Amino acid sequence: MASAAAAVEAEGLVKTYRSRAGTVEAVRGVDLRVDAGEVFGFLGPNGAGKSTTVRMLTTLLSITDGTARVAGADVAREPDAVRRQIGVALQEAGLDPRQTGRELLELQGRLFNLSADEAAARAVELLQLVELTDAADRSIKGYSGGMKRRLDLASALVHDPEVLFLDEPTTGLDPASRLTVWDEVRRINERGTTVFLTTQYLEEADQLCDRLAIIDDGRIVREGTPERLKADLRERLGLRSDVTLDDVFLDATGRTRIHVAGEVQEVSR
Amino acid sequence: MTYALVLGRRALREAIRTPEAIVPTLFIPLFFLVVNVGQAARIFPGSSTEFLHGQGYGAFQLPSSMLLAASFGSAALFLVEEIEGGYFDKLRATPVPRSAIVLGRLLAEGVKALLIASLIVLLGLIFGITIASGVLGFVLLILLTASWAVVYSGFMQVIALKTRSAAATNSAGLVFFPLLFLTPNFVPRNLLTHPMEVAATINPVTYLMEGMRSLILQDLRWETIGLGYLVVVVAGIIMLAISVRVIRNYD
Repeated sequence: MASAAAAVEAEGLVKTYRSRAGTVEAVRGVDLRVDAGEVFGFLGPNGAGKSTTVRMLTTLLSITDGTARVAGADVAREPDAVRRQIGVALQEAGLDPRQTGRELLELQGRLFNLSADEAAARAVELLQLVELTDAADRSIKGYSGGMKRRLDLASALVHDPEVLFLDEPTTGLDPASRLTVWDEVRRINERGTTVFLTTQYLEEADQLCDRLAIIDDGRIVREGTPERLKADLRERLGLRSDVTLDDVFLDATGRTRIHVAGEVQEVSR
Repeated sequence: MTYALVLGRRALREAIRTPEAIVPTLFIPLFFLVVNVGQAARIFPGSSTEFLHGQGYGAFQLPSSMLLAASFGSAALFLVEEIEGGYFDKLRATPVPRSAIVLGRLLAEGVKALLIASLIVLLGLIFGITIASGVLGFVLLILLTASWAVVYSGFMQVIALKTRSAAATNSAGLVFFPLLFLTPNFVPRNLLTHPMEVAATINPVTYLMEGMRSLILQDLRWETIGLGYLVVVVAGIIMLAISVRVIRNYD
Protein backbone atom coordinates (compact mmCIF):
# COMPACT_ATOMS: atom_id res chain seq x y z
CA MET A 1 0.00 0.00 0.00
CA ALA A 2 1.49 3.34 -1.00
CA SER A 3 2.01 5.77 1.83
CA ALA A 4 0.79 9.36 1.38
CA ALA A 5 4.27 10.71 2.07
CA ALA A 6 5.95 8.73 -0.73
CA ALA A 7 6.80 10.89 -3.75
CA VAL A 8 8.07 7.89 -5.68
CA GLU A 9 7.32 4.27 -4.93
CA ALA A 10 8.21 1.26 -7.06
CA GLU A 11 7.67 -2.41 -6.41
CA GLY A 12 9.22 -5.18 -8.43
CA LEU A 13 9.91 -2.90 -11.39
CA VAL A 14 11.09 -4.91 -14.39
CA LYS A 15 12.06 -3.90 -17.91
CA THR A 16 12.96 -6.43 -20.55
CA TYR A 17 13.76 -5.77 -24.20
CA ARG A 18 13.65 -8.20 -27.04
CA SER A 19 16.65 -8.03 -29.30
CA ARG A 20 18.06 -10.22 -32.04
CA ALA A 21 20.38 -11.77 -29.46
CA GLY A 22 17.43 -12.67 -27.22
CA THR A 23 15.72 -11.06 -24.26
CA VAL A 24 17.67 -8.43 -22.36
CA GLU A 25 16.70 -7.73 -18.75
CA ALA A 26 17.66 -4.10 -18.17
CA VAL A 27 15.89 -3.76 -14.81
CA ARG A 28 15.22 -6.88 -12.73
CA GLY A 29 12.80 -6.11 -9.93
CA VAL A 30 13.59 -2.71 -8.46
CA ASP A 31 11.91 -1.68 -5.20
CA LEU A 32 12.23 2.00 -4.33
CA ARG A 33 10.71 4.52 -2.01
CA VAL A 34 11.47 8.23 -2.11
CA ASP A 35 9.85 10.40 0.53
CA ALA A 36 8.36 13.77 -0.35
CA GLY A 37 10.89 16.57 0.03
CA GLU A 38 13.96 14.34 -0.28
CA VAL A 39 16.88 14.60 -2.66
CA PHE A 40 17.27 10.97 -3.62
CA GLY A 41 20.37 9.80 -5.44
CA PHE A 42 20.28 6.89 -7.83
CA LEU A 43 23.75 5.63 -8.58
CA GLY A 44 25.19 2.85 -10.65
CA PRO A 45 27.81 1.99 -13.23
CA ASN A 46 27.13 2.53 -16.93
CA GLY A 47 24.43 0.19 -18.18
CA ALA A 48 23.27 -0.72 -14.67
CA GLY A 49 19.65 0.32 -15.36
CA LYS A 50 19.58 3.87 -13.94
CA SER A 51 18.24 5.63 -17.02
CA THR A 52 15.86 2.77 -17.83
CA THR A 53 14.37 3.05 -14.35
CA VAL A 54 14.04 6.82 -14.67
CA ARG A 55 12.43 6.49 -18.10
CA MET A 56 9.86 4.06 -16.68
CA LEU A 57 9.11 6.32 -13.70
CA THR A 58 8.66 9.32 -16.00
CA THR A 59 6.23 7.46 -18.32
CA LEU A 60 8.68 7.52 -21.24
CA LEU A 61 9.15 3.76 -21.26
CA SER A 62 6.58 1.04 -20.72
CA ILE A 63 6.88 -1.13 -17.60
CA THR A 64 7.28 -4.84 -18.31
CA ASP A 65 6.32 -5.91 -14.79
CA GLY A 66 5.82 -4.44 -11.34
CA THR A 67 4.15 -1.21 -10.28
CA ALA A 68 5.23 2.37 -9.77
CA ARG A 69 3.51 5.40 -8.31
CA VAL A 70 4.83 8.91 -8.70
CA ALA A 71 3.25 11.87 -6.88
CA GLY A 72 0.39 9.60 -5.91
CA ALA A 73 -0.51 8.46 -9.43
CA ASP A 74 0.02 5.05 -11.00
CA VAL A 75 2.62 5.40 -13.75
CA ALA A 76 1.12 2.76 -16.05
CA ARG A 77 -2.57 3.55 -15.49
CA GLU A 78 -2.53 7.33 -15.08
CA PRO A 79 0.44 8.55 -17.12
CA ASP A 80 -1.04 12.01 -17.73
CA ALA A 81 -1.62 12.54 -14.01
CA VAL A 82 2.05 11.64 -13.43
CA ARG A 83 3.21 13.94 -16.24
CA ARG A 84 1.33 16.89 -14.71
CA GLN A 85 3.25 16.45 -11.44
CA ILE A 86 6.78 15.76 -12.63
CA GLY A 87 9.58 17.72 -14.20
CA VAL A 88 12.09 15.86 -16.32
CA ALA A 89 15.63 16.77 -17.35
CA LEU A 90 17.17 13.79 -19.08
CA GLN A 91 20.78 12.82 -19.75
CA GLU A 92 20.95 14.75 -23.02
CA ALA A 93 19.65 18.27 -22.50
CA GLY A 94 16.50 17.86 -24.60
CA LEU A 95 16.17 21.25 -26.20
CA ASP A 96 15.05 22.54 -29.56
CA PRO A 97 18.16 24.30 -30.92
CA ARG A 98 16.16 26.48 -33.32
CA GLN A 99 14.19 28.22 -30.59
CA THR A 100 15.37 30.89 -28.21
CA GLY A 101 15.52 30.15 -24.49
CA ARG A 102 12.46 32.30 -23.90
CA GLU A 103 10.43 30.64 -26.67
CA LEU A 104 11.29 27.20 -25.35
CA LEU A 105 10.15 28.04 -21.83
CA GLU A 106 6.98 29.75 -23.06
CA LEU A 107 6.11 26.72 -25.20
CA GLN A 108 6.74 24.40 -22.28
CA GLY A 109 4.39 26.54 -20.17
CA ARG A 110 1.67 26.34 -22.82
CA LEU A 111 2.02 22.55 -22.92
CA PHE A 112 1.38 22.55 -19.17
CA ASN A 113 -1.85 24.49 -19.64
CA LEU A 114 -0.61 27.99 -18.82
CA SER A 115 -2.17 30.86 -20.78
CA ALA A 116 0.12 32.78 -23.16
CA ASP A 117 0.53 35.60 -20.59
CA GLU A 118 1.15 33.21 -17.71
CA ALA A 119 3.69 31.27 -19.77
CA ALA A 120 5.52 34.48 -20.69
CA ALA A 121 5.65 35.62 -17.06
CA ARG A 122 6.83 32.19 -15.89
CA ALA A 123 9.55 32.17 -18.55
CA VAL A 124 10.87 35.52 -17.24
CA GLU A 125 10.91 34.16 -13.68
CA LEU A 126 12.72 30.96 -14.66
CA LEU A 127 15.25 32.73 -16.84
CA GLN A 128 16.16 34.85 -13.81
CA LEU A 129 16.34 31.76 -11.62
CA VAL A 130 18.86 30.02 -13.87
CA GLU A 131 20.62 33.28 -14.72
CA LEU A 132 19.90 33.21 -18.43
CA THR A 133 18.01 36.50 -18.76
CA ASP A 134 20.74 38.04 -20.90
CA ALA A 135 20.70 35.07 -23.30
CA ALA A 136 16.90 34.70 -23.30
CA ASP A 137 16.39 35.85 -26.88
CA ARG A 138 19.36 34.11 -28.40
CA SER A 139 19.05 30.88 -30.33
CA ILE A 140 19.70 27.83 -28.10
CA LYS A 141 22.06 26.55 -30.78
CA GLY A 142 24.62 29.09 -29.55
CA TYR A 143 24.35 28.22 -25.83
CA SER A 144 27.26 26.57 -24.02
CA GLY A 145 26.82 23.12 -22.42
CA GLY A 146 26.28 24.66 -19.01
CA MET A 147 23.70 27.14 -20.30
CA LYS A 148 21.81 24.31 -22.04
CA ARG A 149 21.74 22.29 -18.81
CA ARG A 150 20.41 25.26 -16.86
CA LEU A 151 17.77 25.95 -19.48
CA ASP A 152 16.78 22.27 -19.48
CA LEU A 153 16.45 22.45 -15.71
CA ALA A 154 14.33 25.60 -16.00
CA SER A 155 12.06 23.95 -18.57
CA ALA A 156 11.50 21.07 -16.16
CA LEU A 157 10.31 23.55 -13.52
CA VAL A 158 7.79 25.49 -15.62
CA HIS A 159 4.77 23.95 -13.88
CA ASP A 160 6.23 23.79 -10.35
CA PRO A 161 6.43 19.99 -10.33
CA GLU A 162 6.10 17.95 -7.16
CA VAL A 163 8.89 15.61 -8.24
CA LEU A 164 11.87 16.57 -10.36
CA PHE A 165 13.76 13.82 -12.19
CA LEU A 166 17.32 14.73 -13.13
CA ASP A 167 19.19 12.13 -15.14
CA GLU A 168 22.92 12.83 -14.88
CA PRO A 169 22.40 16.61 -14.90
CA THR A 170 26.09 17.48 -14.64
CA THR A 171 27.65 14.96 -17.01
CA GLY A 172 30.06 16.76 -19.32
CA LEU A 173 29.96 20.05 -17.44
CA ASP A 174 33.00 21.98 -16.27
CA PRO A 175 33.45 22.27 -12.49
CA ALA A 176 32.02 25.80 -12.31
CA SER A 177 28.85 24.83 -14.23
CA ARG A 178 28.53 21.72 -12.08
CA LEU A 179 28.55 23.81 -8.91
CA THR A 180 25.90 26.11 -10.40
CA VAL A 181 23.65 23.12 -11.13
CA TRP A 182 24.21 21.82 -7.57
CA ASP A 183 23.14 25.21 -6.20
CA GLU A 184 20.03 25.10 -8.38
CA VAL A 185 19.16 21.61 -7.18
CA ARG A 186 19.50 22.69 -3.54
CA ARG A 187 17.39 25.80 -4.15
CA ILE A 188 14.69 23.77 -5.92
CA ASN A 189 14.62 21.23 -3.10
CA GLU A 190 14.43 23.95 -0.43
CA ARG A 191 11.22 25.11 -2.08
CA GLY A 192 9.67 21.70 -1.40
CA THR A 193 10.31 19.80 -4.64
CA THR A 194 11.35 16.19 -4.31
CA VAL A 195 14.43 15.53 -6.44
CA PHE A 196 15.24 12.14 -7.95
CA LEU A 197 18.80 12.41 -9.21
CA THR A 198 20.83 9.89 -11.14
CA THR A 199 24.52 10.49 -11.28
CA GLN A 200 27.84 8.81 -11.86
CA TYR A 201 29.63 11.36 -9.71
CA LEU A 202 29.81 10.07 -6.17
CA GLU A 203 30.91 13.43 -4.82
CA GLU A 204 27.72 14.88 -6.29
CA ALA A 205 25.62 12.27 -4.52
CA ASP A 206 27.50 12.88 -1.26
CA GLN A 207 26.97 16.64 -1.53
CA LEU A 208 23.35 16.68 -2.57
CA CYS A 209 21.50 13.56 -1.53
CA ASP A 210 19.62 12.83 1.67
CA ARG A 211 19.42 9.18 0.72
CA LEU A 212 20.63 7.11 -2.16
CA ALA A 213 20.33 3.74 -3.80
CA ILE A 214 22.97 1.94 -5.84
CA ILE A 215 21.79 -0.16 -8.76
CA ASP A 216 23.94 -2.76 -10.44
CA ASP A 217 22.99 -5.18 -13.17
CA GLY A 218 19.34 -4.11 -12.91
CA ARG A 219 19.03 -4.68 -9.13
CA ILE A 220 19.27 -2.38 -6.12
CA VAL A 221 22.36 -3.47 -4.21
CA ARG A 222 22.55 -0.75 -1.50
CA GLU A 223 20.11 1.82 -0.13
CA GLY A 224 20.38 4.32 2.71
CA THR A 225 21.79 7.69 3.72
CA PRO A 226 25.37 8.32 2.55
CA GLU A 227 26.54 8.36 6.18
CA ARG A 228 24.76 5.10 7.02
CA LEU A 229 26.16 3.34 3.94
CA LYS A 230 29.70 4.46 4.79
CA ALA A 231 29.31 3.44 8.45
CA ASP A 232 27.98 0.01 7.44
CA LEU A 233 30.95 -0.62 5.20
CA ARG A 234 33.41 0.54 7.84
CA GLU A 235 31.79 -1.81 10.37
CA ARG A 236 31.57 -4.74 8.02
CA LEU A 237 35.20 -4.50 6.93
CA GLY A 238 36.40 -3.58 10.42
CA LEU A 239 38.16 -0.46 9.13
CA ARG A 240 39.47 2.25 11.44
CA SER A 241 39.95 4.89 8.77
CA ASP A 242 37.12 6.79 7.12
CA VAL A 243 35.57 5.29 4.03
CA THR A 244 34.22 7.32 1.14
CA LEU A 245 31.16 6.89 -1.02
CA ASP A 246 33.55 5.66 -3.73
CA ASP A 247 34.46 2.74 -1.45
CA VAL A 248 30.76 2.01 -0.85
CA PHE A 249 30.10 2.12 -4.57
CA LEU A 250 32.99 -0.16 -5.46
CA ASP A 251 32.05 -2.60 -2.72
CA ALA A 252 28.38 -2.61 -3.76
CA THR A 253 28.99 -3.11 -7.43
CA GLY A 254 31.65 -5.79 -7.03
CA ARG A 255 34.26 -3.59 -8.66
CA THR A 256 37.72 -2.83 -7.46
CA ARG A 257 40.56 -0.56 -8.41
CA ILE A 258 43.91 -1.74 -9.65
CA HIS A 259 47.05 0.06 -10.68
CA VAL A 260 47.95 -0.57 -14.29
CA ALA A 261 50.97 1.17 -15.77
CA GLY A 262 50.81 3.81 -13.08
CA GLU A 263 47.12 4.58 -13.63
CA VAL A 264 44.19 3.65 -11.44
CA GLN A 265 41.62 1.54 -13.30
CA GLU A 266 38.27 0.24 -12.15
CA VAL A 267 37.62 -3.43 -12.91
CA SER A 268 35.00 -6.03 -12.07
CA ARG A 269 35.99 -8.55 -9.49
CA MET B 1 -6.43 21.04 -30.68
CA THR B 2 -4.93 23.96 -28.73
CA TYR B 3 -1.81 21.91 -28.08
CA ALA B 4 -1.54 20.95 -31.76
CA LEU B 5 -1.81 24.65 -32.70
CA VAL B 6 0.86 25.65 -30.19
CA LEU B 7 3.17 22.91 -31.48
CA GLY B 8 2.28 23.78 -35.07
CA ARG B 9 3.32 27.41 -34.51
CA ARG B 10 6.63 26.16 -33.16
CA ALA B 11 7.14 23.94 -36.24
CA LEU B 12 6.39 26.91 -38.52
CA ARG B 13 8.94 29.03 -36.67
CA GLU B 14 11.41 26.21 -37.21
CA ALA B 15 10.64 26.18 -40.95
CA ILE B 16 11.10 29.93 -41.22
CA ARG B 17 14.47 29.64 -39.48
CA THR B 18 15.68 26.92 -41.85
CA PRO B 19 15.03 28.33 -45.33
CA GLU B 20 17.68 25.93 -46.69
CA ALA B 21 15.19 23.10 -46.09
CA ILE B 22 12.50 24.83 -48.20
CA VAL B 23 14.63 25.76 -51.21
CA PRO B 24 14.82 22.20 -52.69
CA THR B 25 11.05 21.85 -52.18
CA LEU B 26 10.59 24.68 -54.61
CA PHE B 27 13.59 24.29 -56.87
CA ILE B 28 13.44 20.55 -57.76
CA PRO B 29 9.75 20.50 -58.84
CA LEU B 30 10.29 23.62 -60.94
CA PHE B 31 13.40 22.05 -62.44
CA PHE B 32 11.39 18.95 -63.46
CA LEU B 33 8.65 21.17 -64.87
CA VAL B 34 11.08 23.08 -67.05
CA VAL B 35 12.91 19.90 -68.20
CA ASN B 36 9.75 17.90 -68.96
CA VAL B 37 8.13 20.76 -70.84
CA GLY B 38 11.38 21.43 -72.71
CA GLN B 39 11.56 17.81 -73.81
CA ALA B 40 7.94 17.15 -74.78
CA ALA B 41 6.31 20.49 -75.59
CA ARG B 42 7.02 20.18 -79.31
CA ILE B 43 5.58 16.65 -79.42
CA PHE B 44 2.37 17.94 -77.87
CA PRO B 45 1.63 21.41 -79.29
CA GLY B 46 -1.24 23.12 -77.52
CA SER B 47 -2.99 24.04 -80.78
CA SER B 48 -3.42 20.46 -82.01
CA THR B 49 -3.31 18.27 -78.87
CA GLU B 50 -6.82 17.48 -77.71
CA PHE B 51 -5.95 16.55 -74.11
CA LEU B 52 -4.36 19.97 -73.52
CA HIS B 53 -7.71 21.75 -74.03
CA GLY B 54 -6.02 24.68 -75.78
CA GLN B 55 -3.25 25.22 -73.21
CA GLY B 56 0.48 24.49 -73.48
CA TYR B 57 2.14 21.28 -72.25
CA GLY B 58 3.29 23.15 -69.11
CA ALA B 59 -0.31 23.23 -67.88
CA PHE B 60 -0.49 19.42 -68.26
CA GLN B 61 2.78 18.98 -66.34
CA LEU B 62 2.01 21.43 -63.54
CA PRO B 63 0.22 18.88 -61.26
CA SER B 64 3.28 16.58 -61.34
CA SER B 65 5.48 19.38 -60.09
CA MET B 66 2.97 20.36 -57.42
CA LEU B 67 2.74 16.76 -56.20
CA LEU B 68 6.49 16.47 -56.18
CA ALA B 69 6.75 19.65 -54.09
CA ALA B 70 4.11 18.26 -51.74
CA SER B 71 6.23 15.16 -51.17
CA PHE B 72 9.29 17.14 -50.08
CA GLY B 73 8.03 17.98 -46.59
CA SER B 74 10.74 18.21 -43.97
CA ALA B 75 8.55 17.41 -40.95
CA ALA B 76 9.79 13.83 -40.63
CA LEU B 77 13.45 14.79 -40.80
CA PHE B 78 12.99 17.48 -38.16
CA LEU B 79 11.21 14.85 -36.07
CA VAL B 80 14.16 12.44 -36.32
CA GLU B 81 16.45 15.29 -35.29
CA GLU B 82 14.23 15.91 -32.31
CA ILE B 83 14.21 12.22 -31.36
CA GLU B 84 18.00 12.06 -31.59
CA GLY B 85 18.45 15.32 -29.66
CA GLY B 86 16.10 14.33 -26.84
CA TYR B 87 13.52 17.11 -27.31
CA PHE B 88 10.94 14.58 -28.44
CA ASP B 89 11.16 12.91 -25.03
CA LYS B 90 10.76 16.29 -23.41
CA LEU B 91 7.50 16.72 -25.33
CA ARG B 92 6.39 13.18 -24.45
CA ALA B 93 6.95 13.94 -20.77
CA THR B 94 4.31 16.69 -20.91
CA PRO B 95 0.62 15.90 -20.39
CA VAL B 96 -0.37 16.82 -23.98
CA PRO B 97 -2.23 14.18 -26.00
CA ARG B 98 0.24 12.10 -28.01
CA SER B 99 -1.75 12.85 -31.16
CA ALA B 100 -1.10 16.60 -30.72
CA ILE B 101 2.64 16.01 -31.05
CA VAL B 102 2.06 14.42 -34.47
CA LEU B 103 -0.65 16.84 -35.55
CA GLY B 104 1.34 19.97 -34.65
CA ARG B 105 3.98 19.24 -37.24
CA LEU B 106 1.36 18.23 -39.81
CA LEU B 107 -0.53 21.51 -39.37
CA ALA B 108 2.68 23.40 -40.03
CA GLU B 109 3.37 21.20 -43.03
CA GLY B 110 -0.11 22.05 -44.38
CA VAL B 111 0.51 25.79 -44.07
CA LYS B 112 3.91 25.48 -45.76
CA ALA B 113 2.42 23.40 -48.57
CA LEU B 114 -0.37 25.98 -49.13
CA LEU B 115 2.24 28.68 -49.61
CA ILE B 116 4.54 26.59 -51.81
CA ALA B 117 1.68 25.31 -54.01
CA SER B 118 0.35 28.87 -54.41
CA LEU B 119 3.82 30.05 -55.39
CA ILE B 120 4.23 27.30 -58.02
CA VAL B 121 0.81 28.06 -59.53
CA LEU B 122 1.55 31.80 -59.54
CA LEU B 123 4.83 31.13 -61.36
CA GLY B 124 2.84 29.00 -63.83
CA LEU B 125 0.41 31.86 -64.36
CA ILE B 126 3.31 34.19 -65.12
CA PHE B 127 4.44 31.73 -67.82
CA GLY B 128 1.03 31.62 -69.48
CA ILE B 129 -0.73 28.74 -67.71
CA THR B 130 -4.34 29.51 -66.81
CA ILE B 131 -6.58 27.83 -64.27
CA ALA B 132 -9.58 26.95 -66.40
CA SER B 133 -11.82 26.28 -63.39
CA GLY B 134 -11.40 29.86 -62.11
CA VAL B 135 -10.84 31.15 -58.59
CA LEU B 136 -12.74 28.31 -56.94
CA GLY B 137 -10.69 25.87 -58.98
CA PHE B 138 -7.49 27.60 -57.85
CA VAL B 139 -8.51 27.27 -54.22
CA LEU B 140 -9.46 23.59 -54.68
CA LEU B 141 -6.16 22.93 -56.47
CA ILE B 142 -4.08 24.46 -53.68
CA LEU B 143 -6.11 22.73 -50.98
CA LEU B 144 -5.80 19.34 -52.67
CA THR B 145 -2.03 19.74 -52.96
CA ALA B 146 -1.63 20.90 -49.36
CA SER B 147 -3.84 18.07 -48.07
CA TRP B 148 -1.70 15.54 -49.91
CA ALA B 149 1.44 17.15 -48.47
CA VAL B 150 -0.01 16.67 -44.98
CA VAL B 151 -0.92 13.03 -45.65
CA TYR B 152 2.45 12.22 -47.20
CA SER B 153 4.34 13.97 -44.38
CA GLY B 154 2.25 11.98 -41.94
CA PHE B 155 3.40 8.70 -43.48
CA MET B 156 6.98 9.94 -43.41
CA GLN B 157 6.57 10.80 -39.72
CA VAL B 158 5.40 7.25 -39.06
CA ILE B 159 8.60 5.98 -40.68
CA ALA B 160 10.62 8.45 -38.60
CA LEU B 161 8.95 7.25 -35.41
CA LYS B 162 9.45 3.59 -36.28
CA THR B 163 13.04 3.79 -37.51
CA ARG B 164 14.32 6.83 -35.54
CA SER B 165 16.85 7.14 -38.34
CA ALA B 166 17.39 10.07 -40.69
CA ALA B 167 18.86 7.77 -43.36
CA ALA B 168 15.86 5.40 -43.31
CA THR B 169 13.41 8.31 -43.34
CA ASN B 170 15.22 9.94 -46.23
CA SER B 171 15.20 6.70 -48.23
CA ALA B 172 11.50 6.22 -47.57
CA GLY B 173 10.90 9.61 -49.17
CA LEU B 174 12.13 8.18 -52.46
CA VAL B 175 9.10 5.85 -52.52
CA PHE B 176 7.19 8.74 -54.00
CA PHE B 177 9.13 8.67 -57.25
CA PRO B 178 7.74 5.32 -58.50
CA LEU B 179 4.29 6.41 -57.32
CA LEU B 180 4.64 9.64 -59.28
CA PHE B 181 5.87 7.98 -62.45
CA LEU B 182 3.31 5.14 -62.42
CA THR B 183 0.67 7.74 -63.23
CA PRO B 184 -0.49 9.41 -66.43
CA ASN B 185 2.43 11.74 -65.86
CA PHE B 186 3.28 12.56 -69.49
CA VAL B 187 0.05 11.66 -71.32
CA PRO B 188 -3.55 10.89 -70.26
CA ARG B 189 -4.35 7.39 -69.02
CA ASN B 190 -6.05 6.27 -72.24
CA LEU B 191 -2.82 6.87 -74.18
CA LEU B 192 -0.64 4.72 -71.92
CA THR B 193 0.46 1.21 -72.87
CA HIS B 194 -1.76 -1.46 -71.33
CA PRO B 195 0.58 -2.49 -68.44
CA MET B 196 1.20 1.16 -67.58
CA GLU B 197 -2.51 1.89 -67.75
CA VAL B 198 -3.20 -0.96 -65.29
CA ALA B 199 -0.45 0.29 -62.95
CA ALA B 200 -1.76 3.86 -63.16
CA THR B 201 -5.33 2.73 -62.48
CA ILE B 202 -4.23 0.92 -59.31
CA ASN B 203 -2.06 3.82 -58.15
CA PRO B 204 -4.07 6.24 -55.96
CA VAL B 205 -1.77 9.15 -56.91
CA THR B 206 -3.26 8.93 -60.44
CA TYR B 207 -6.62 10.17 -59.13
CA LEU B 208 -5.00 13.06 -57.33
CA MET B 209 -3.13 14.03 -60.46
CA GLU B 210 -6.21 13.73 -62.66
CA GLY B 211 -8.23 15.81 -60.19
CA MET B 212 -5.60 18.53 -60.16
CA ARG B 213 -5.18 18.40 -63.93
CA SER B 214 -8.90 18.75 -64.55
CA LEU B 215 -8.91 21.89 -62.38
CA ILE B 216 -6.15 23.41 -64.51
CA LEU B 217 -7.29 22.31 -67.96
CA GLN B 218 -11.07 22.11 -67.72
CA ASP B 219 -13.99 23.57 -65.84
CA LEU B 220 -15.11 22.14 -62.50
CA ARG B 221 -15.55 18.41 -63.16
CA TRP B 222 -16.81 17.32 -59.76
CA GLU B 223 -16.50 13.58 -60.33
CA THR B 224 -12.79 13.79 -61.14
CA ILE B 225 -12.12 16.37 -58.41
CA GLY B 226 -14.12 14.29 -55.91
CA LEU B 227 -12.02 11.21 -56.64
CA GLY B 228 -8.85 13.20 -55.94
CA TYR B 229 -10.22 14.43 -52.63
CA LEU B 230 -11.47 10.93 -51.77
CA VAL B 231 -7.94 9.56 -52.16
CA VAL B 232 -6.63 12.24 -49.79
CA VAL B 233 -9.38 11.64 -47.22
CA VAL B 234 -8.96 7.84 -47.20
CA ALA B 235 -5.15 8.04 -47.12
CA GLY B 236 -5.43 10.72 -44.41
CA ILE B 237 -7.62 8.55 -42.20
CA ILE B 238 -5.23 5.60 -42.60
CA MET B 239 -2.22 7.83 -41.90
CA LEU B 240 -3.79 9.35 -38.76
CA ALA B 241 -4.82 5.94 -37.41
CA ILE B 242 -1.30 4.54 -37.90
CA SER B 243 0.39 7.70 -36.56
CA VAL B 244 -1.65 7.78 -33.36
CA ARG B 245 -1.07 4.06 -32.79
CA VAL B 246 2.68 4.37 -33.38
CA ILE B 247 3.16 7.38 -31.11
CA ARG B 248 1.02 5.86 -28.34
CA ASN B 249 3.14 2.70 -28.40
CA TYR B 250 6.42 4.59 -28.75
CA ASP B 251 8.87 3.34 -26.11
